[in-house]
Amino acid sequence: MNLAGFRTELHAWLGEHHQELAPRFSPPGTLDERIAQMQRVKSVLFEAGWMRFGWPERVGGRGGSPMLRTELGAALAARELADPGLFSLIEVLAPTLIDFARPELAAEVVPRLLSGDEIWCQGFSEPGTGSDLASLRCRAVPDGDPSTTSAWVINGQKVWTSLAQYAERCVLLTRTGTGDSRHRGITAFFVDMDTPGITVTPLEMLNGEREFAEVFFDDVTVPADRMLGELHGGWNVAMSILPYERSSCFWQRIAYLYRRLEMLVEVAPEDDRSAEVVAEAFLALHMLRARSRVTQHRLADGATLGAETSIDKVLVATAEQLVYDAVRRLLPGVVEVDDSLAGAAWRSEYLYSRAATIYGGTAEVQRNIIARRLLNLGSDE
Amino acid sequence: MDAAERALLEETVRDAIVAGRDPRASAGVDDVLAGLGWHEMLHAEDRDPVDIVFRALGATNAMSSALDDVVVSALGVEPRPDLAVLLPPFTAWGAPGSADGDGIVATGVATARVASAAELLVVCSAGAEIHVAGVRPSVLDVTPVRGIDPDAALQTVRVEDGAATSAIDPAAWDSAVAAGRSAVAYQVAGACNAMLALAREHALARIQFDRPIARFQAVRHRLANALVGVEALEATLVAAADEPSMLTTALAKAVAGRTALTVGAECQQVLAGIGFTTDHPFHRLLKRTMVLDGILGSADAITLDVGRQLLADRRVPTLIDL
Repeated sequence: MNLAGFRTELHAWLGEHHQELAPRFSPPGTLDERIAQMQRVKSVLFEAGWMRFGWPERVGGRGGSPMLRTELGAALAARELADPGLFSLIEVLAPTLIDFARPELAAEVVPRLLSGDEIWCQGFSEPGTGSDLASLRCRAVPDGDPSTTSAWVINGQKVWTSLAQYAERCVLLTRTGTGDSRHRGITAFFVDMDTPGITVTPLEMLNGEREFAEVFFDDVTVPADRMLGELHGGWNVAMSILPYERSSCFWQRIAYLYRRLEMLVEVAPEDDRSAEVVAEAFLALHMLRARSRVTQHRLADGATLGAETSIDKVLVATAEQLVYDAVRRLLPGVVEVDDSLAGAAWRSEYLYSRAATIYGGTAEVQRNIIARRLLNLGSDE
Repeated sequence: MDAAERALLEETVRDAIVAGRDPRASAGVDDVLAGLGWHEMLHAEDRDPVDIVFRALGATNAMSSALDDVVVSALGVEPRPDLAVLLPPFTAWGAPGSADGDGIVATGVATARVASAAELLVVCSAGAEIHVAGVRPSVLDVTPVRGIDPDAALQTVRVEDGAATSAIDPAAWDSAVAAGRSAVAYQVAGACNAMLALAREHALARIQFDRPIARFQAVRHRLANALVGVEALEATLVAAADEPSMLTTALAKAVAGRTALTVGAECQQVLAGIGFTTDHPFHRLLKRTMVLDGILGSADAITLDVGRQLLADRRVPTLIDL
């Protein structure tokens, strides 16, 4: 099916099934409500087949270009049927299993993620490991000889783990090399979150929500056949996520930001100051959407995405903050003192948008990468 | 056009423009472009020639009257080297003239071609209609603009004439504005790339505190910001070429103006003292982009217009799809 045809049919179907899919709470809803909504939507869409497009047949998909699933995520975001930040986590989890897990394991578990039966999380960051992922310390040691061991024992701590308290599984990065082995001594595992020794402590963000958690691993035993990729090959696993995170996930976020700007435009005063503020955000969104479109066409044409996606990352962070800055400027007091549901939603999203220049690699790290890798300015040491 | 053909044309056009710009050359930039078959290229559906020629003009800081040809062609008139067109006044984009049956009154700007052209096309609003007139040079009041960038050779033109006008498709002026904006946006992109290349070169060569200033993160981040701007502009040009419309070309033109400001400011700061002198070529690129921003609608004017439209419609269109 071509992309335009898919889009048309998808929107027609979503239109017909709006009643069934729409949230049964008034936005924004609690995190519990939004997660339940997302899982319900996934389940309906998996049953109807939409959720299977763009995923390989060997994990229960219907094949086709990954752009099909990007279109689905964007449509759900634009129609406010699923929170794009939560929904697009699939894009940074499922491909890892598809590319690096034993085929039987991938075939068993990926459909559970797609169908909304399960939630997974990603255990990458640590208290001492923010922008510098290669310094991670959560340790996995073999229960015997590393080449023949049937299990690994994990000790350490993760942080900023989205949805860990809801998750059935975790894609976890561990240190298997020496303490100073950096990216050469990291190994990935697929861990069941109900394994004894795992403790999850949710963290409250500045908007009052508990989307992230700290996860503690205390002598957690993981079967050796849950290793993802090669021993010490975890850096490749981590890096393989980047193309999805910086293409499909962004496109979904972009769809959501267009809708948010439209919600502002629906209520903003009709004067020239509003016109300028709104148009600046619109310009930033257009640049971002145009750039992301180019990136996704390159990916679909077989290019390997790398450092140039740092440009996309800078643009998405800039546009997101401009949209919410526009909200705060054109709806005075809404973010600060409006206790209506709409006010609560804008406030929560405004505060969340401040993290756009922090998560997924800070704006400064992106500029370092752009300077070194794209502008070839050489080392900064 | 495949990648190899495109690369060859890019090189040929750039070499020809550099040769034509030399004051000792017998043929000017317009002549060398005509010699390369520029007018024939405009006939093709292919947008690449406009992209290539205007980027090269921007990168080499050359000025030509190729914009007249692009606008004339979009008006449905055969472009020729002795036919100029009246562009709207600086920062504006409405039809530059008004016609009332007895004749026309128009004010606008024109490229250097107006001085030697046999005819100036003037698009006029005539009530609800759009008219066009071919005006003889003898009735034109032409004043060269010196301003910030005399080398741009812009001319202020006033027309008051009893010329006969004929009605054209009202959409033709919109098409002409869109085509002209795309061309100018490519030219700005060429200049932005050139400014960044100069600043990058300087950062790697300039030694302070015993090291190239390119090692300082503050300098690196300025150049990174400039590259983000350039790449975003390039993407909006792709979007405008793939989904041409009044709005996608307006946005490309607005992004071009905004990007030139960002790139200009970041690069000027990196170039520091040398970039503040006329010994270094940077100042010409900076000034040229400021002038180009005012042709067929400045970034500020377009942005305000787009914002008013969004508020009037209470809608935010996504414009481009995957």
